[in-house]
Formats: sequence, C-alpha cells, structure tokens
Amino acid sequence: MQTNFTPEQLSNARIAEAESILRRCVHCGLCTATCPTYVLLGDERDSPRGRIYLIKDMLEDNAPASKEVQHHLDRCLSCLSCMSTCPSGVDYMHLIDLARAYVEQTASRPFKERLVRRLLAGILPYPERFRFAIRLAPLGRPWTKMLRRFGFEQLAAMIDLAPAVLPPSPKFEGPGTAATEDERRARVIMLAGCAQQVLRPGINDSTIRLLARRGVDVVVASGSGCCGALTYHLGDEAGAIEFAKRNVDAWTKELAKGPVDAIISNASGCGTTIKDYGHMLKREPEYAARAARISALARDVSEFLGAYELGPPKRWSSLRVAYHPACSLQHGQRIKEQPRDLLSKAGYSVVDIPESHICCGSAGTYNIMQPEIAGALRDRKSKNIKRIKPDLVAAGNIGCISQLSGQVDVPVVHTVELLDWAYGGPVPRGLEPLARFVSNVPEPKQRRAEDFIHA
Amino acid sequence: MSDVQRPGADWELQFVIAGCVEKRLPIEIVGSGSKRAIGRPVDGVVTITTASLRGISLYEPNELVMSARAGTPLSQIEAELAARGQMLPFEPIDLGPTTGGPQGSQTIGAVFATNMSGARRVLYGAARDHLLGVRGVNGRAELFQAGGRVMKNVTGYDITRGLTGSWGTLAALTEVTFKVIPWPETSVTIIYLGLPDNLAIELLSAAMMMPVEVSGAVHLPAPVAARLNHPGLKTLNKSITALRLENFASAVAGRKQRLKETLKVYGKALELEHRETLEFWNELRRLSVMPHNRQTLLWRISTKATTAPKLVSAIKRYMPAEAYYDWGGSLIWLEVPSAADAGTAEIRRVTAIHGGHAMLIRAEPAVRAAVEVFQPLSPPLERLTRGLKAAFDPAGILNPGRMYANL
Amino acid sequence: MTLSRMPEPDRAVLDRRDSIVKDLEALIGVDGVISEEEGRRAFEADALTAYRQAPLAVALPRSTEDVSKILRYCNQNGVRVVPRGAGTSLCGGALPTADSIVIGTSRMNRVIETDFINRTITVECGITNLAITDAVSAEGFFYAPDPSSQLACTVGGNVAMNSGGAHCLKYGVTTNNVLGLKMVLVDGEIVEIGGAYPDSEGYDFLALVVGSEGQFGIVTEATLKIVPKPESARPVMLGFSSCEAAGQCVAAIIGSGIIPVAIEYMDRPAIAVCEAYAKAGYPLDVEALLIVEVEGYEDETTRLLRDIVDIARSFDPQVIEASTSAEHSARIWKGRKAAFGAMGRISDYYCMDGTIPLARLPEVLSRIAQICAEHRLKVANVFHAGDGNLHPLILYNANDQDESNRAELAGAEILKLCVAVGGCLTGEHGVGIEKRDLMEVQFSPSDLAVQMRIKSVFDPGWLLNPGKVFPLSVLEASGERPAADQAA
Repeated sequence: MQTNFTPEQLSNARIAEAESILRRCVHCGLCTATCPTYVLLGDERDSPRGRIYLIKDMLEDNAPASKEVQHHLDRCLSCLSCMSTCPSGVDYMHLIDLARAYVEQTASRPFKERLVRRLLAGILPYPERFRFAIRLAPLGRPWTKMLRRFGFEQLAAMIDLAPAVLPPSPKFEGPGTAATEDERRARVIMLAGCAQQVLRPGINDSTIRLLARRGVDVVVASGSGCCGALTYHLGDEAGAIEFAKRNVDAWTKELAKGPVDAIISNASGCGTTIKDYGHMLKREPEYAARAARISALARDVSEFLGAYELGPPKRWSSLRVAYHPACSLQHGQRIKEQPRDLLSKAGYSVVDIPESHICCGSAGTYNIMQPEIAGALRDRKSKNIKRIKPDLVAAGNIGCISQLSGQVDVPVVHTVELLDWAYGGPVPRGLEPLARFVSNVPEPKQRRAEDFIHA
Repeated sequence: MSDVQRPGADWELQFVIAGCVEKRLPIEIVGSGSKRAIGRPVDGVVTITTASLRGISLYEPNELVMSARAGTPLSQIEAELAARGQMLPFEPIDLGPTTGGPQGSQTIGAVFATNMSGARRVLYGAARDHLLGVRGVNGRAELFQAGGRVMKNVTGYDITRGLTGSWGTLAALTEVTFKVIPWPETSVTIIYLGLPDNLAIELLSAAMMMPVEVSGAVHLPAPVAARLNHPGLKTLNKSITALRLENFASAVAGRKQRLKETLKVYGKALELEHRETLEFWNELRRLSVMPHNRQTLLWRISTKATTAPKLVSAIKRYMPAEAYYDWGGSLIWLEVPSAADAGTAEIRRVTAIHGGHAMLIRAEPAVRAAVEVFQPLSPPLERLTRGLKAAFDPAGILNPGRMYANL
Repeated sequence: MTLSRMPEPDRAVLDRRDSIVKDLEALIGVDGVISEEEGRRAFEADALTAYRQAPLAVALPRSTEDVSKILRYCNQNGVRVVPRGAGTSLCGGALPTADSIVIGTSRMNRVIETDFINRTITVECGITNLAITDAVSAEGFFYAPDPSSQLACTVGGNVAMNSGGAHCLKYGVTTNNVLGLKMVLVDGEIVEIGGAYPDSEGYDFLALVVGSEGQFGIVTEATLKIVPKPESARPVMLGFSSCEAAGQCVAAIIGSGIIPVAIEYMDRPAIAVCEAYAKAGYPLDVEALLIVEVEGYEDETTRLLRDIVDIARSFDPQVIEASTSAEHSARIWKGRKAAFGAMGRISDYYCMDGTIPLARLPEVLSRIAQICAEHRLKVANVFHAGDGNLHPLILYNANDQDESNRAELAGAEILKLCVAVGGCLTGEHGVGIEKRDLMEVQFSPSDLAVQMRIKSVFDPGWLLNPGKVFPLSVLEASGERPAADQAA
C-alpha cells in the first residue's frame, strides 16, 4: 500500500518501522472476516484493515490521536487473528502496539478511564495487591448496579470478574528450584506470573509436577515477576519495558548459573510477550542482546512438552474435552496442534470448538475495559462450546479460563492441569465431580529377576 | 399473410429493420417458425425469418465453444457436435410436436431466445447458463454485440443472458456463441415403479441430494406413462420415476449402486442400459407424453420440487389435469381440458400460493390472445420490463404483444 | 496510478453534507452513520488502493427496509450512492466519490433459510461467501463459486461482479448459481426477482442484475443453489519446462472429455512466492505449474487422475505429483488461493483479469512478458487456465509515481492484447474504475449505448455507483447524461 511520509518523519525509527509494516498491507480485506470486532460490529473501522488505515492516517498526519482513532484502537482485542489470516504477513502486532503508545503520548483520556487503567496497572501485576483487592471485591458487589448507572461500567466489570472465593496460595511460589526426583534431563526457568498464581495457583503447581516428574528441574528466578504484557497493552510502554528489563536481569543471572533448556510460560498471553522481549528492548543497547537470547529460549509449556516424551498416561478417562485455543497461543505464538495432541496422547477425547479462531473476549484487561464487546464475544463463544456438549473445557491461558468459567455449565481448566492429572497428579480444582469417570491405569506388577529365575 | 423477409447477412437484417422502424411496421421475428403457436399471437405486418442466417462460424472442441448464425438448425449443430463427441449440455426441449408443429426444425437462435432447456438442466443448468455471446439487431436497427467467446467474461452488463427468454421482443439475434460439453462415455436410467407423486418427488430429491450427479430426474404418473412409445414401459400401467446417470463407465456403475442402495426403501429398481436410456430421454425431449391435442391445453409450471405434488393436487380440485414432472419435480407439464380462459384464474392462484410461475404453452390462438400466456409480473418488475423493452425497442415493433399485451 | 478521472462531485451536495448526515442518522440511527473525517477515510478504497476518495458519509444499514429508506432519501435529494460489501474489489468497484453515500452491507449477514431438500439457501447479502458453505457443509453441501477472497468477500459483492473462482470450470460463476434476488431499486422500491424455483419469470432480470456492478440497485437478499459435496476432491501438480507445453496440456485434457473442477496455472515467479508463503511443496525449478483438480468418489478420482497424468506425459512434464491426503490437498490449494496476498509480501502489485481463448495462451504469455519488460516491470502469472482467465500480477512500487503509471500503462496494453486475440477485458473481477476507460477497446459505441440505456432503465438519474463501467467521455457524449451532472 502506498504511504506518504516525509523523510523527516522516516528518520524517526518508530515511524520507519510503522512505514515498513504498512507498506506490506495490500488492503485485500481478508483479515476483516476473522476479526472478532468486525464480525460483531460490521464496521470497517473496527476491522484490522480499517485500523491499519486509521493508524496510517494518524501517523502520516503527525497529529495527536483523535477521539475516534483512540476509540477504535481501544476496541482492538490484540487477539492477532488477523495475523493468522493475513497472506501478506503484515506485522499487525507491532503496528498496533506502536500506535497504542502513540495514542497514549498524544491524546488524553477522561478521568474515569484513567482511574481504571491506573487501578489495573497498579494491582494486577502484583500478586499481594491483587489478593487483597479480591478480598475487597465482595464489598463492592452490592454497588455494581449503581456504578453502571453512573457510567463506571468498567469498575463494575472488574468487580464482577473477581472470584467469590480466593483459592489457597500455590504450593511453590519461588524463588528457588523445584528439583526433579527423577534423573535430571533438563533445566527450565518458569515464569511464575502475576494474576494467574492468585486466580488459579494449581496451574503452576501442575506445571512443576508434570515437568519434575519427567526429569526437569524447574527454576523460578529471584527478582522475576510480571511479564509486562498488561501494562503494555494499556499503552504504558515505559512501564512494560521496566517489567521486561527486570525479568531479563533475573533470568540472565539464572542462565549464568548453568545451562537452561527453555524459559517456560504457562499463560500464553505472557509467553507471547516474552517471545517479543527481543523486539521490545531492541533499542536498549544494554539489554538488546540479552533480551533476544531470552526470547529465543521462551517456550509455551505445551510447546516444550510437545517436544518431550511424557510416556504413557497413568490414568484412563473418556472425558470429552473441548479444547479452546487461546488467541495468544494460536495467533500470537502460532501454536495450534501441540496442546490438542498432548491432550489426545494423555487419553482425553478432544473436540474442536466451532469458530475456534474467534476470541472469547478476555484479551488481557479487555473484558474490563470493553465490557460490552467482551460480553458479546463471551456469549458467542459459550454458545459455540455448548453446541459440542463437552464434559469440560481446556485452555492454555488464565484470561480465557476466568472469562469462560461459570459461563458454559462445565468446568474450565488449564491444559497442564489435565495433563498433570492424567500423568499421576491430583484432581484439578473444580473437576472433583468428574473424578469418578477417571480410573487408574493398572500398573503391571514390578517383577524382579528372581521371579523369572527359579533357582 | 404478411410479407416474409429472409435476410442472409447481419447488415441485411439491420437494413430491413431500419425500414420497419422508419415506417413503424410491426415485425414478427421467427427462426424456422416451430414455436409460432406459443406465446400470444403476433400481428406482424412484416415477418422476418433468420432461416437464411445459417452456418457454424466457430467451433473449438478443445475449448468447448461454438458460434453459429442464429438461423442454423439445431439438428445441424447437434450433428456437428456429435461428430466430435460433444453435445449441448442443456438438452433443448422440442416443443414442435406438442404444439402441432414440425419436429426437429427449431433453430439455435430460437433455442436461446426462448431459453428452452430439457431434462439435463437439473445438472448443467438452463440454456441461458451456456450462452456466452450474441450478436443481434435491436428495435432501433442498431447492430450490437455482447459477451464474447470465452467462458468467463464480466465485461459490461450481461446482456447476453439478459436476452435469453425474451422471445424476440428485444432484439433479433444474428449469431450466438455457446458452451458445449463432451458426450458421456455411457449412461444408465434407474426406474422405480408405482410411486404416488409425493413419494416420487421425495425420491428424486433424495437422489439429487447425493453427489452422484443425476442428469435427469422425472416422474410420470401412470396415465402419462401409458403414453410413452417405449413398448415395455408403456404397458406396465404404473407410474414411472426415472433417474439418469451419465459418466464414464466405471463411475456410472459405482454411482448406480450407491443410488440404489440409498433408495432401496422405494422398491425394486428397473434399469435401462445406454441405448435404451438414449431412446427414453429422447422421447421425453420431444415431450411425447404430452402429444398435440386440440381438446386440451398445456401449461408449464415452475416451482419448488417439494411443493409440486401439492400444487398439482390443488389444481385438480378445480379441473381434471394430467401432470408430468421434470427437473426433479420443479417443472410441471400440466395438461388440462380446453376452456375459454384456459383455467388461468385457478392455475395462477394456486401457483401464487405455492410459489413459482406458470406459462400457457398450448392453446388455440383465440385463447392465447385473450389470456395472459406468460406469468403476470409484480408492479416493479412490470415497470422494469416496460423500461427494458423501450430501451431496446422504443417503437415497439419487435414481436409486439408476443409476451405481454401492449408490450 | 490515477490515470482514470472520476466525475466532478456535485458541489450542491457537498455543501449540504451536515444536513444529509443528520437526515441519514434520523432514518437509520446514529450508530449506522459514519461522518467523521478519519472514519470516512477508512472507506476511501477497496482492494485496488491506487484509487482513493473518501465519501460524503457511510451508512451501515441493518435491514432491507433501512436500505430502502436510504435509497429513497438519496434519490429524492439527488445524492449519489456507492454500494459496498467487504471492500475486496480488485477493480475499484466500491470506490466512492466525494459526493456519495457509501452503503455498506456488512451488518446484514444472516442466513435466512436453508432448504436442503430443494438444495437452496437464502441469505442476506452481507454474509461472506465462505460463511454460506460453512452454514451448509455439515449437511454435505457447499456453495460453488469460490473467488480467492471467499473468506471475506460478500455475496452482495459476488452478485454485483458476477464473481467466479477456481472451481467454476465445472460449477459455473455466480450468475449460474443464483435463483432469486431481493433488491432495492434506486427510488427505494423493493423488488423480488426469481425465487427458489428454476427460471425467473418474464425477462431474465437475474442475468442483468448479476454483474451490474451495483449500478442497478442494491441487492439485499439472495436465494442460491447449494450443491452436494463430492466424496473427495484431489489435485495433481504437473510441472513443465515451458508455458507452451503447459498450455497444450490444458487443451489436451479438456479436449479428452474430462472436465476437471479446476485447472490452475502458475509461472515461475508466482510459484516461488506462493511456495515461500504456503510451503505447499511446489516445484521451484519449472517454468509452469498446473494444479488440476478432479472430484467424485474415491475410486473415480483415482482413475481420473491417472487419465490426466497419462495425457500430461505426452507433454514431457518435469514433475507429476498427486495429492496423497486431505491435508496435502489443502496445502496445495493454500498456496494458490493466497497467491495475491503472498505477492503482497514482496511487492505492491497490480492484478489483471483478462480472459483469452486457450489456444492463444503461449503467444499471449510471451507478449505479456515482453510488454512488462518494455515498461521495466516484473510480472508473475497466476490464473485459471481451464477457462483462459489470466491474472498477470504486475509488480511495482506504489510509492514511486512513475513506476505506478508504468504499471497502469502496461496493464492496459495487456488487456488490449486479450481483446485482440478474441478474449475480454475482465473475466471475474469486473470493470469498476480500473478498466472503465478500456471499454471502447472491446465494445463499439452502439454496444455501449445498448448497455447504457439499460442502466437508465434501472437508474434514470445515474446515482448508483457513479463513474464506473463506462468511459466518462462516452457517457458524456451519449444521451444518457446523468441528471446529477446536469445539475452540477
């Protein structure tokens, strides 16, 4: 597509980057068909192609972002479904990130929105603060109606999303190393994450058990924390870069201690961001090289396990599992088959959800910032899930799990929780009623040499 | 009898029409004249026949395309195609015999001008679907061309197809270019006996929902089946429901088994092998089961297949009728007793209720002049129809009144 | 690439913009009208981005009645209207004028009725082509026309352009698969043409409306044929060392009595680009690659592929590779279907759409290469060989004005060549703005006059999709002078 930037504009490295992305778009429009917001709203401005156009105009004009541009860019889920569809390889992810940062720098937001964004950025990345906030949520619950009436839909959505009961803390929060009892075959760093360990601590526990059982040492590095995705997608680029640097520092130290086979994340939204550290920090001379190394080592847990022999499952089940591919996994990291294959190999019968390429509406903090669209997508997804009548739903991202829990009549769990269960772990939280459909695979009696040699 | 003009070249036709335009003389345009007894009678002062515009101007078997002057007899076209193992996909029906005219004399121009398709339409589509390009002269005496000789062509509006089924009221065609297909290696007809209309249509629909490419799907109730020439079939005294498969031999064999397996609940099937299949469908192509008869009228009703039996039985409440179902049931040939109004009121009302359209094919000229022969149009469609007529023929001299009075 | 000029906008309409927007908002609601500068600009182009013009406003109706209200209003007020489906036109079919209202049908995307027994489906026209097949595939059916943009393009757009696709060699194009339409005429009147039964009544208005490029009215609903899906469909790839051999092979296959569902052709540059994108396993060292697909029951496709390979052998193919599985077939098609987009990875491109008689293929291909070389441009060829529908992709740099102009000139020469050898300007993309000024190459003044008069029947004021299909000079010289122009 033709662009109109002046040489001065192009001397700015960011504009130059945007320009090179824009030039690839041929405006063919295929992306519109798989964009959740376009499918729902039928408005070009809420499609990737339309947004690309809005971004192009905004950057070319070199003017502050208008309310309208801000509005339509805010409505983008960053699900990256468009990138899976785009035949021309337009790097929409980096374009929208760049544009969001531009919008935050050049345009203001009303007080209400700033308040919500501050709250989210100040709470979610910090497990202690988040736990505290969830304990406070019941106090807010009677007031949600009133909040909505006064235009604080987003605050109301936050309160609605908070779980009623806070699960117990995880068994292992780190920092430290969960050492395998088996013969050691690999050493990985695990991103312990932020919101996930509060909302569903079982995921980290399952991941560690699953890996450690098969000879993998799992390290949670001291000093590592939130990956930065949350702040990044709220447009706070500087804040995100701080988070990224902290993790790069922490993990580089671990790398120095001994060989690391992978940096594992079990929340695919975070994984997508870690894989992008190399890009995020490429203009930071001190970090660029190290960040690139970290990104190269980053693996989603299903990606790592997919290349790793887990052996025969310990339990047998006939559970019908609807696999919900998180957008960050299927579009962001292009991991489509491995989670399904792992679940199948573990003995579950896996079924695909119609329209599986369409986002469930969670999308980080999107379900708080854009409750209306997120709700419509959640309902659409729930309807599609109900159509195939599964016993439970598995997903690789905590955001989707929170978004869909309680909406689909059946439990929603993380893929690794199911895997851990199949390979000998405890019943995942919420699946207790299904436990009776799962039985242990009879272990052949261990025979010793004497049994065969009748002396 | 009016003055008959036989132009032998495009410019001659243009010249004749120009003369008529000047003098505002109404023209009746005919090919061989085999369909003169269909439609409303035209009171032409001048008759123009395209019969002298003859000859095949282009035939590329490897591109499946042929061009012919409009007055070329269909029989000549088909012989030429058959010599290269090809055919017209839509199996044009011959209404000559049923309307008391000659058999096998129609011209290729008339086939397209009236959009006459036969049984194979269920698989390959109608005549209009295979027309690629035309040349012609409109009522302004302008020689024009539309479309071309290639399969895919969206350059400008699709006037080519727009002229099909216009019965010479918009333009006199001088040349047509159309798509052809190879003859199948072999064919078979599978016949089920004694089914009532509704079950028969159900069977035909079930067959056409399968990917076996049924290329003919007809149902002949017992009294109609008795009119067949086929010595075996006419004496069975049972209704006949027939399906045709055409393909290479092994595919026909395999598909036949699949069909019979799926349809076994409808009873035991008879089979006609290749030669008999050709005869059977050729007979239907001449509409032999609806022979010429001055005591009766013939209607042609297009509707949804599944509503066809209901539509027929609704009409039977008002008058005796014999029906023959083609195109899987979506085309009904309906024979009813002669009447001054041709049963128009009832037949049109019933057709309107069930959805579709009806055309009176055979009736005495006085009847055809008195009633609406073609399906009356909704007000907006009628407005467009008049506009289109005026765009091509502002003086209203081409086949005036043939389709609709005052048009 | 802006050699074709657009009609002068109507100043009076431009001046009344605010009141027109307000009126439209009153008619279909505030959320259905886009009037801000940035928003309008998002609609300034379709997939032919060389031409751009933001409209006066955009309306996004939700129903036939909404469309009717808007059209009645625009007709009464002399406002031009540009219909738009998904905006995937490659010929600028949805290019607005500055004084026009774009009516986007993207919000009208419901399936109204499916009737498997009679094998029809009725849909709103904003539904995507692929969504129709998705709606019926569980029952074993599909909707046959499959333009490469089928994922995104709408049925309304398909009807307007009479779209084709790779598989129309067997199943025909849009016009062969439409049974009925509901359309809003320019004065707001709603007309139904045809229906779920064969042959529409009276004149064949379906034929006229399909392919009328949105200039006759706005189609809001369509009743379409659906076809039972064959048990299997399998492609074979045939690679040749010359385009002559490939062309002769195509003719021989069709002449043999086999009608494959598709015969696709790619030349060396196109193969390289598609392979890089799709990893389809295309051979990289051949000059021409044919993808020939047959379908039917498993045993039949095996036999047909064997026959085709036998025919191909006499043209000395370098590569013969039949698909071995459903995934393999999908991969082979993925590369072909994404060809245009994949080309976008390496360069801007200008996509041609001429059709030629098959026998002239080798000669035309070498002339195309020559023309592009003369204009110092690269070209890649991807096309539907079975029906002679060529898609030369002329590669150029959109940010280089001189190169853009050269691309447009080369394109025009290629299309003139197609007409000269007995073909046509456009096989499936439509005339739009892109090929408008070439219409005189294919049609005489009286041919064009016949067409323009039909336009006047449907749209006496020439308000619908202005500036497309007919060269402005021809239009202005004719008696069919648009009323809006006269007013201006």
